[in-house]
Amino acid sequence: MLKIIIPTIMLMPLTWLSKKNMIWINTTTYSLLISLISLSLLNQPSNNSLNFSLMFFSDPLSAPLLVLTTWLLPLMLMASQHHLSKEPLIRKKLYITMLTMLQTFLIMTFTATELISFYILFEATLVPTLIIITRWGNQTERLNAGLYFLFYTLMGSLPLLVALISIQNLTGSLNFLLIQYWNQALPDSWSNIFLWLACMMAFMVKMPLYGLHLWLPKAHVEAPIAGSMVLAAILLKLGGYGMLRITTMLNPQTSFMAYPFLMLSLWGMIMTSSICLRQTDLKSLIAYSSVSHMALVIVAVLIQTPWSYMGATALMIAHGLTSSMLFCLANSNYERTHSRTMILARGLQTLLPLMAAWWLLASLTNLALPPSINLIGELFVVMSSFSWSNITIILMGANITITALYSLYMLITTQRGKYTHHINNIKPSFTRENALMALHMTPLLLLSLNPKIILGFTY
Amino acid sequence: MNPLIFTTILMTVLLGTMIVMTSSHWLMIWIGFEMNLLAIIPILMKKYNPRTMEASTKYFLTQATASMLLMMAIIINLMHSGQWTITKVFNPTASIIMTSALAMKLGLTPFHFWVPEVTQGISLTSGLILLTWQKLAPMSILYQISPSINLNILLTMAVLSILVGGWGGLNQTQLRKIMAYSSIAHMGWMTAVLVYNPTLTMLNMLIYIMMTLTMFMLFIHSSSTTTLSLSHTWNKTPLTTTLILITLLSMGGLPPLSGFMPKWMIIQELTKNSSIILPTLMAIMALLNLYFYMRLTYSTSLTMFPSTNNMKMKWQFETKRITLLPPLIVMSSLLLPLTPMLSILD
Repeated sequence: MLKIIIPTIMLMPLTWLSKKNMIWINTTTYSLLISLISLSLLNQPSNNSLNFSLMFFSDPLSAPLLVLTTWLLPLMLMASQHHLSKEPLIRKKLYITMLTMLQTFLIMTFTATELISFYILFEATLVPTLIIITRWGNQTERLNAGLYFLFYTLMGSLPLLVALISIQNLTGSLNFLLIQYWNQALPDSWSNIFLWLACMMAFMVKMPLYGLHLWLPKAHVEAPIAGSMVLAAILLKLGGYGMLRITTMLNPQTSFMAYPFLMLSLWGMIMTSSICLRQTDLKSLIAYSSVSHMALVIVAVLIQTPWSYMGATALMIAHGLTSSMLFCLANSNYERTHSRTMILARGLQTLLPLMAAWWLLASLTNLALPPSINLIGELFVVMSSFSWSNITIILMGANITITALYSLYMLITTQRGKYTHHINNIKPSFTRENALMALHMTPLLLLSLNPKIILGFTY
Repeated sequence: MNPLIFTTILMTVLLGTMIVMTSSHWLMIWIGFEMNLLAIIPILMKKYNPRTMEASTKYFLTQATASMLLMMAIIINLMHSGQWTITKVFNPTASIIMTSALAMKLGLTPFHFWVPEVTQGISLTSGLILLTWQKLAPMSILYQISPSINLNILLTMAVLSILVGGWGGLNQTQLRKIMAYSSIAHMGWMTAVLVYNPTLTMLNMLIYIMMTLTMFMLFIHSSSTTTLSLSHTWNKTPLTTTLILITLLSMGGLPPLSGFMPKWMIIQELTKNSSIILPTLMAIMALLNLYFYMRLTYSTSLTMFPSTNNMKMKWQFETKRITLLPPLIVMSSLLLPLTPMLSILD
């Protein structure tokens, strides 16, 4: 695992020592090379985990998330080039350093064995993200957004720290590799109910669960493009990954403790999808769509069947790529019109037809069109929730319909119809932007050929 | 002040604390406290104005009261045990009185009212000595009598201190008052774990002193005593804004910085001793502290603009030389991976 971590740490001296005209080229190239290294982890011969050391391991759940993380860094760097072009050199280097630090912490989080080490790195990802949102965001609301982001996550995760330490006292070790094998049922008591709550709330806030999702639209909207990309694609998945890891230790309370959160998620996904239909702010629409998709993942994780775990993992990877691509598309609009209002930049298909093709593909994958992996994820989740309780099919069906509605609404508003006459002098699409969209779309389409690698450890 | 006299007074302060920390006779400890108190008054009054006089008087009155209460506890202990050696305190009444006296010296709730006012009235360097060096002597006595302290009183004072330290600092813009409330909260953390594992108290004291030293050094470097003047540092030395950010986040206890280590260890120790609600409450109340640190970082380092500011800036006459700033900053932010080394303290 050091073969990925040390090169990522070394990206920081690379940034600071590069010449002015080479910083973007150097960092993007080397981060692409690092993502190639991580692809080797996808080859997992058996259902067991690949143990690299006592501290790092990778199994069929964390390997796709790791590949997604390392794939996203060059994409983030490519997306940030335009809005940082006018900043002084030191500030550009600081920004890239923040992104690299975040990347290092994320890689270490996804591969940590010891759960306290996972916790420390989970919290550590907050600091660079906070700095990226607050320092490089564009509106005054970014200060509030940073505070909401930091404090919601910390309030949820401090009980997790206490819970992890008390579990360590009970079972003697928090090494994940050991816990898989000596899992015992938690005795039934009031304090174990609070233990369950303490363990899960941190990840519920991060996912986010419907009632605790207030930080997400603020943070996603106010962050610069790289911040939005990493938030939507990876940081939300940290919550899902943590939940998938920690629910193995929390039986049998999950069978009855999960009900309130299942209800909140099922209702929340319909609510947030409906809100998307009434949004005027493009980034806010994509942010609420993220909440809706993640609610599906929460439902899948809490049901705890093999198919639902497969659906959750596939949906996480698929949503990561799709959501990040949608944010990049929204950012290409923002850079031209400096406004996030959807109706200000309509009818772009006449002006930028190639970008319209990317908008079409992104919207189609967002509404889970077959045969994309988004569909595979959603279908598995719908099937497993139907087997858990027949009535959920109504809510799931309604959600899929409303998702289709707002994705097409977004597509038609931005692309079709007559263009507004004040955008007839926008710059045409840069090759960098087209490359960015292609690099998002290609893994998404290729994975539909072999979705086995993203289906997680219950395949 | 005449350098020779200043050196003598400073050495007396150091000597007083040393006497407290190394004596085995209760009377010598009391003498050490009094020496410390009398010698630090001129240091607190380095600038001669009514505000400093008021702060020094408040400090003198509270500390003298505490010393008298300490003397009373010593005498009761003498009556009940017949000897002057420092071991555990033999009488519950004496133990309660001594704990209250030492809490008054440290600035724990409900005896915390003097800390913000005294820290505000004195210069930054004196405030530095007040908040770091002066905590060493009472804490060493608490360490030595820790087996006999009444747990209920100590934990109540600790939790109330964390609450007051967090809540009281929320409405402050003066940096010295912010550091005072931060000191109250950190003292609360330190005394909460005193009965369970005094080594962690010392660890917390060490890391707290490093972080407070760093913060004060950075304030002295930019000669700023209000949030407003701290927000001008990006004009003079942009690097210090980053350093202020890192140190403040470390004081708030965010991983992966070293300020997280004492909190983590204290929570671990308390949980091992089967108190679960208490560390959860303490950790959540520490978030109040983090809020006003974040507010400071927002005005200092996270909202700089490449524009000229149209506010009055202070004229700097000379570049102040700060001793030991880089090692302090490194130690106050990067020590977390060294946590396994704590096993040498057992």
